[in-house]
Amino acid sequence: MAQPVLEIHNLHVRVKEEDKEIVRGLDLAIGSGEIHAIMGPNGTGKSTLASALMGHPAYEVTEGTVVLDGKDVLEMSVDERARAGMFLAMQYPAEVSGVSNANFLRTALNARRGEGNEIPVLKFHRQLHEQMKRLNIDPSFAERYLNEGFSGGEKKRNEILQMAMLEPRLAILDEIDSGLDIDALRIVADAVNQLRSPDRGFLIITHYQRLLQYIVPDFVHVMMKGRIVRSGGKELAEKLEQNGYDWLKQELGIEDETVGAEA
Amino acid sequence: MTQQTTIQSPWVSERLACDQPDWLRQAREAAYTQFAEMSVPKLEKTDLRRRNFDLGAPPKSAGTPSAKVQALLEDLAGAAFVFVRDGVPVRTHVPDELTAQGVVVMDLAAAVAARPDVVQKHLGSVVQPQESKWAALNAAAWTAGAFVFVPRGVSAACPVVFVHESSSASTGCAIRSLVVAEADTALSYTEIWLVDGSPAEQTVHTEVLEVAAGAAAHLWLGIANEARRGPTYFRTKRARLENDAQVEWVSSDVGDGFSVALLESELVGTGSKSTLQGIGVGRGRQHLDFTASMLHRGRYTESDIRLHGALRERANSVYRSSTHIFRNAVAAGSEQHDRMLMLDPAARADAIPMLLIDENDVQRCGHAASVGRIDEGQLYYLQSRGIPYAEARRMIVWGYLEPTVEVFPEGAVREWVRRQIDEELVE
Repeated sequence: MAQPVLEIHNLHVRVKEEDKEIVRGLDLAIGSGEIHAIMGPNGTGKSTLASALMGHPAYEVTEGTVVLDGKDVLEMSVDERARAGMFLAMQYPAEVSGVSNANFLRTALNARRGEGNEIPVLKFHRQLHEQMKRLNIDPSFAERYLNEGFSGGEKKRNEILQMAMLEPRLAILDEIDSGLDIDALRIVADAVNQLRSPDRGFLIITHYQRLLQYIVPDFVHVMMKGRIVRSGGKELAEKLEQNGYDWLKQELGIEDETVGAEA
Repeated sequence: MTQQTTIQSPWVSERLACDQPDWLRQAREAAYTQFAEMSVPKLEKTDLRRRNFDLGAPPKSAGTPSAKVQALLEDLAGAAFVFVRDGVPVRTHVPDELTAQGVVVMDLAAAVAARPDVVQKHLGSVVQPQESKWAALNAAAWTAGAFVFVPRGVSAACPVVFVHESSSASTGCAIRSLVVAEADTALSYTEIWLVDGSPAEQTVHTEVLEVAAGAAAHLWLGIANEARRGPTYFRTKRARLENDAQVEWVSSDVGDGFSVALLESELVGTGSKSTLQGIGVGRGRQHLDFTASMLHRGRYTESDIRLHGALRERANSVYRSSTHIFRNAVAAGSEQHDRMLMLDPAARADAIPMLLIDENDVQRCGHAASVGRIDEGQLYYLQSRGIPYAEARRMIVWGYLEPTVEVFPEGAVREWVRRQIDEELVE
């Protein structure tokens, strides 16, 4: 395996308000240059895993470790994780009125680059417009308020735009394919493929194998009941697409794959 | 029953002794009598019992303008302005193009002599002394203010700005401005109120603006306020609209002062319309009792009020939006949106929507009010891109206020308001 970017060991996550454990002892290591896909039916803890890795305040890690390039992620605040190189393309990105997309991105980029190393304004705008063109985003979106009034597909493309601009060390894509038509899906997949690099790891969370036809993963993991129950190569995704999850549940003796249903 | 009022205020005695037409002297005397007779009102949300209503020694000198006001006036070179400091007129600047149009911009006291026809007709007609103790005090004691006259059919070639600075030497303040826009005119008029140094405790500031908007006149009125701890600030600003006139208000309030403010449009004419957008950042032990009001008297009148306040530290603001649709004002339409953001645990805000409807035939009438804290989801999103907490918070608050700042009618004014708010948000 390549030099690990992210190492998750025995991770347990609960929802603070409900006092319910959603991720239950998850292990995963993502190497530099690798794309890992996590698949699984609804309610198995995939999105909770993504949110908890980023440090979403609604979730609490009760046990386990997460290490990014040798650093303890769980000790870091949300913004520190981002500056350390983590990026989460969210399923439901927030809308922020009065803050333009461009201003937001420049602030984020400069936060990452650090004081005294800010990107020159013109250079930033040139980069932004190049990336927007590549993602087929209308130039007017630069000055529009952050995600406000964006369609579902526009929000997803905007997430990818941010990823392209911020050049993370580890990118987590949480159901980036939901709400995208086939053309938009291709554009998003192309952008991700262009960002594939030996210096970067990806964790792609999806319901459907469809996305993985365009972004070919190195490893595929299936999540059920809050942990990874099966791992394989890209052929695992194909098998799931053809046969569904039932065969796997039978093999594993799982009746209800969702978290909280006691076996 | 009539009782002779002895003028106990040296300030008012001096105003009465000034050279002025008899009608004005009599109006001042009558207003002072009303002021003296009125008791201190009990307001629902503001305790005025311990506030002083006496003006101190009459203003003698404008003193030295601060560096910040001088810089502001330089930035306003492209606009017309009247600058008054501690109630004393300092400087008036009117671009030639405006004079060529027949637009008059000057100090109100000077206008009494220069344009007696317009001043006598309108002064005290939109804001009357009997409506409040502070309106009466202002009518008796005003020393200066802006006078703007736009003759029929003229779109003013540049914005007009009134700037008032009060210093720590101020003994109080009674400023009155009058804007008369005849039929088919267009004008943008902004007032900027600033404070230099720490104001004296327990002084009283009473500010009045009267706007007469003629038929089909379109006016943009900006009010950028700064109020600091010490004085009691009373502000009464009203526009009266004739047929098809349109008035767009935008106001901002910053500081830790104690203020009671009313911004109002009186929609008298058929088809007249008004919007009012207000923002405020309060901090310290600020107390702001702010009312945005629309009086629908004419038929087919429309109004829209949007108020956004952000409160820090121990600030306490009341933002009231009030719509009154009078009987026979058929087919009126009105919307209100009040949103308050509390940034610190001890800050307090009230968003009070008021609808008073005496007419059955109403086209639309809606209101929404909320008081809340910064959205956690927005904070998380910004932080997840590497933006530190304090900066993320600041961006969200700015995002909430910025769209209203953009509505201010002049570039230099917008810059001023932006800087002012920025300073208020420094942690």
